[in-house]
Amino acid sequence: MAENTRKTISVPLNRVEGDLELTIEHEDGVVTNAWSRGVMYRGFENMMKGRGAWDGLVLTPRVCGICGTAHLLTAAKALDMICGIALPANAIMVRNLAMMAEHIQSDLRHGILMFMQDFLNPAYANLPIYGEAVRRYETFRGRSVVETIRMTKKILEIVAILGGQWPNSSFIVPGGVASVPTYNDIVSCIYIINLFTAWYEEQILGCPIERWQQIESEQDLMAWMNEDDAHRSSDLGFFIRMAHLVRLDRIGRGHGNFLSFGQLELPPDSAVRSRSGDALLLAPGFISDGNASAVNQELVSEHVAYSHFIDYPGGLHPSEGITQPYVSPYEAVKYSFCKAPRYAGQPAETGPLAQMLTSRHPLFLDLVERYGPSVYVRELARLVRPAELLPAMKTWAGEIDPEAPFYHSVREIPDGLGYGLTDASRGALGHWLEVKKQQIERYQIITPTAWNGSPRDHGGIRGPWEEALIGTPIADPDNPVEAGHVIRSFDACQVCAVHLLKNPRRGNGRPACLRV
Amino acid sequence: MSARIICIGNRFLAADAAGPLVYDHLAGSPLPVGVELIEGGTAGLRLLPLLENCELVIFVDAVSGFRPDPGVIVIDPAALEPEALDFGHGAGLATLLATAPHVLDPPLPEILIVGIEGQADEPACRQAARVCREIIASRSNRQSRRQSASVQETVDERPGY
Repeated sequence: MAENTRKTISVPLNRVEGDLELTIEHEDGVVTNAWSRGVMYRGFENMMKGRGAWDGLVLTPRVCGICGTAHLLTAAKALDMICGIALPANAIMVRNLAMMAEHIQSDLRHGILMFMQDFLNPAYANLPIYGEAVRRYETFRGRSVVETIRMTKKILEIVAILGGQWPNSSFIVPGGVASVPTYNDIVSCIYIINLFTAWYEEQILGCPIERWQQIESEQDLMAWMNEDDAHRSSDLGFFIRMAHLVRLDRIGRGHGNFLSFGQLELPPDSAVRSRSGDALLLAPGFISDGNASAVNQELVSEHVAYSHFIDYPGGLHPSEGITQPYVSPYEAVKYSFCKAPRYAGQPAETGPLAQMLTSRHPLFLDLVERYGPSVYVRELARLVRPAELLPAMKTWAGEIDPEAPFYHSVREIPDGLGYGLTDASRGALGHWLEVKKQQIERYQIITPTAWNGSPRDHGGIRGPWEEALIGTPIADPDNPVEAGHVIRSFDACQVCAVHLLKNPRRGNGRPACLRV
Repeated sequence: MSARIICIGNRFLAADAAGPLVYDHLAGSPLPVGVELIEGGTAGLRLLPLLENCELVIFVDAVSGFRPDPGVIVIDPAALEPEALDFGHGAGLATLLATAPHVLDPPLPEILIVGIEGQADEPACRQAARVCREIIASRSNRQSRRQSASVQETVDERPGY
């Protein structure tokens, strides 16, 4: 074990490509400072300038290989706004179903394949339930791993069915959706939703969704854990046991500010209702110091004081944003290619936990009120978000009327300003757009990881996960698994970097090749 | 025959743009019946459904360390040595190929990788596109020969022949 005195360590977050890095400073076994670095300039905003007004629908889904549907939807919403068009109910439901399928696959792949993988860390080898962790989550051998890949692949088929194309579906357009599902398509979607729900209830929850939805407090949660062996032995039950054993409820607090742009519009006459009575199934909101307020996108700004961009004072609203990269070898302050988004001048955490809180989910309100945010409660929110989504998915799939319209015609995009706001799987996503003479004059995108992984702002205030790391105990600086838990709980995503196929034997013998 | 050519990578990053650039070449002229051309982007494990219900899948991707000089190479994924898997945002072709046999129902298609080592310039992309077409043609010919041999056997076995 390395000597545990004041020093810094670097943690590459994306395990393969290293396009997002974390540097933490620790002293006497506790993190005292942190810097989150995006190490790659992407510059999508500059690529968009001068292109056709519709091009965001094709280009922005390529921002992220995982959240392509969310970017497509957000780009379309910005154009919907500029066109001033109302959507048919069918289009709302098809858009919602695709987004929900994307969330569910993302939540469970992250939870089971990535977050739980950290429980196999050698640091936990002496724990009494380590063997159980291995049996569950070992790569391709763990019983939860293969089934999770198989079933999340299944749920994503809904996007292919509704979108008529896979991957890079472009079916969401201003005015609705361009792909009209048949009656058979809808039946196929309902079949997949039912199949997935049955698996999720048995494997992940260990109980019917209806039973899970009765849990409204930590006391209820503990009673549920002790109620049935199936609850304790589900993946959720295991997560709760392991999280308490390694004290994930004590790390990863952060600023305590939460932002959700809200999502999943309720179509007229739908049987689906939101918890909060909002017009969206998952309500928007901003929470600071426990006080909730409505979201006003005009309060969003981006700072660059610590980012590799040409300086401007304070923050700028995305509709006025400047994305001009600037790197100097003499630069001592700037450290990230991510800007620092702020809401009402404050850093804000976004993601499933923020959604649960702004939607007034009683269990998460209780947990955060009692103990504050933590790695435990953040990951818990992600694992149970499908329980919020699946019942609504089933209802909406049944409410689609194949005979009714899916699209209101939009012939051209007029001049104007628009924005699209939604929550992608990792949190608040916004596109701000200006169109002039059928061309994109300006385009700004703020992704969830820009919020969560932001560097310091104009006032020197840390970004959400930089702050969440402060105070984290590091038992072994050579194996900072605790810091990994904190960052993983935000589901760090600075994606779409170089995905080169590398030869692990490079330099050691001849490569394997075929002659054709 | 049923085949898919899946070009993967990120066209906005020069070092990873090989797949999408070859896609542009292949999209410029018709492919044989039964062959689908797909821009797989950076979808990682989300490409798994595309390995179902077909006989041959050719991935086109940027590669590193597979040949000493820049150029095009055809790689048999079965001969790849395992590397650390990444199920997350860094999941690439290696993870996808390692995962497929565990989660897909057999039979799996024949899978080949057409890789571009070094810069994905115009000649390299043109050559990679040509290699893809040659693989498709060779497999189609092989299948046709097999089918005609099978028909011949059936004919030979008929009474009176």
